[in-house]
Amino acid sequence: MSSGFVGTRKRVPLRELVARIPDGASLTLGGSFLHRGPFAFVRELIRQNKRRLEIVKQSPGYDIDILCRAGAVEKLRAGIVAMEGNFGLAPWYRRAVELRQIKLEEHACASLTAGLRAAAFGVPFQPCAGLHGSDIPALNRWKLLEDPYGNAAPVWVIPAIRPDFAVIHASEIDELGNVRISGTYHWDRIMSRASRSVLIVAERLVSTSVFEANPESTVVPYFMVEAFSIVRNGAWPGSCWPDYAVDYPAVERYLKPGDECLADHLASGPEMRQPA
Amino acid sequence: MTTVWSGFSYIVINLARFIRPNEITFSGVNSTLPMLACLLAKRAYDGEFIYINVAGGVDPRPSHIPVSSSDPVLAEHSASIFANEDFYDLCARGRMDLTFLGAAQIDGAGCANNSVIGSWEQPKVRLPGGGGGAVMLPTAKRACTWRTEHSKRTFVEKLDFRTAWGGFYGVVTPIAVFAKQEGRLALASWHPESSLAEVRERTGFTFDANDATSTSPPTAREHEALQALDPDGHFERDANIVLR
Repeated sequence: MSSGFVGTRKRVPLRELVARIPDGASLTLGGSFLHRGPFAFVRELIRQNKRRLEIVKQSPGYDIDILCRAGAVEKLRAGIVAMEGNFGLAPWYRRAVELRQIKLEEHACASLTAGLRAAAFGVPFQPCAGLHGSDIPALNRWKLLEDPYGNAAPVWVIPAIRPDFAVIHASEIDELGNVRISGTYHWDRIMSRASRSVLIVAERLVSTSVFEANPESTVVPYFMVEAFSIVRNGAWPGSCWPDYAVDYPAVERYLKPGDECLADHLASGPEMRQPA
Repeated sequence: MTTVWSGFSYIVINLARFIRPNEITFSGVNSTLPMLACLLAKRAYDGEFIYINVAGGVDPRPSHIPVSSSDPVLAEHSASIFANEDFYDLCARGRMDLTFLGAAQIDGAGCANNSVIGSWEQPKVRLPGGGGGAVMLPTAKRACTWRTEHSKRTFVEKLDFRTAWGGFYGVVTPIAVFAKQEGRLALASWHPESSLAEVRERTGFTFDANDATSTSPPTAREHEALQALDPDGHFERDANIVLR
């Protein structure tokens, strides 16, 4: 079996893209807080009633909150969790931790990145600067390693984190699966390198010649991408630069309590109004 | 009648006063007031500094001031994208001159709890978590924070959990500015409408106040810059900060 993903039949409807995720899978989700998260994909995970997921992300917010609200999460490995904007803490996530309904592996954003780097670099662990004096390493039973060359102070080493899937919301993709992101790519690049497979939801399908004209702006080359879907406004209610900003009223409506509110929110996803 | 210096203006301006010319200064997620401080410093002070932020912006010229301090508009007109791994690595290798970081609880050494109220295993309140602090606080040359509430709940003798060690260089609240002195937070100044006695009364740890005075009032340029950033008072209303 090839190490790469080839072929021109990678484009699938969102429903089929999400159907590739088995219960219990480990997913790292791109973006940060309310910005360019794969939120259409996340809502479809809930519609398909996925269970026992492990979510890996430095700064989750809406995504982990709605997945906790739907009971889809077993474990979270994260650096900082909040709704952001003016919305403060993520309420359903917070309740899930306080009621011990999910397992939390608390990181610094940089230590989670170190774990992903270890996987991406093909090594079992990765040193991470800082962390000394923090109570976090002991929580996770991380080890402090002496500098084997004797030049510097000991460093904390973070075990490799290798998610099953990196799920990224991108600006543009071609039919082969080359991926571009406008604005910052946050941690998406290292997520794609650390994971066994990459699934993309993109705003637009463009010609391969667009990529050939500026290959340096390709964040993920096609052979790392297993499959993709096109969903316009798929990062709603978050932003996707420069196409659209955060829909704050929609986030506010999402935060109202009740199953009906969640159902209304899921029904309002832009993915529901687009041909499969 | 003297002008009342609002808690919002007091925090933004005093955070901005920690920014020094020529230094690399960073503002992150969940950090509306430091974002405003960085943008204010660009307008109100003569010295140039390098402003980088969590949206990947490097000296951006945002077309408007966003509600979210990680909004991609904060990279508008940036000539490069300095993404998350880049600014963390910059800090880790000791080249971050000043970073602003959030903190829920702060102790007298300036260490931070951002993880939990109560025990970690059985939390009363689950807070956002490790975030930037655990790695940035001990590796940045200076780190500053702010609290919109000045109370013994937030300024504690002992943290419920030590998320980040290393000690803040500066802390700003609606009534006080602390700055690090010999490894401890010392009072630098108090709000003109507050007092040393009030700051002591509302702080859970002991601190030195030998050099403390009343905070210098806002300059005309600071005042104008903040007005320009928040012309209709949206940010001030959203922040909803009271002195007491």
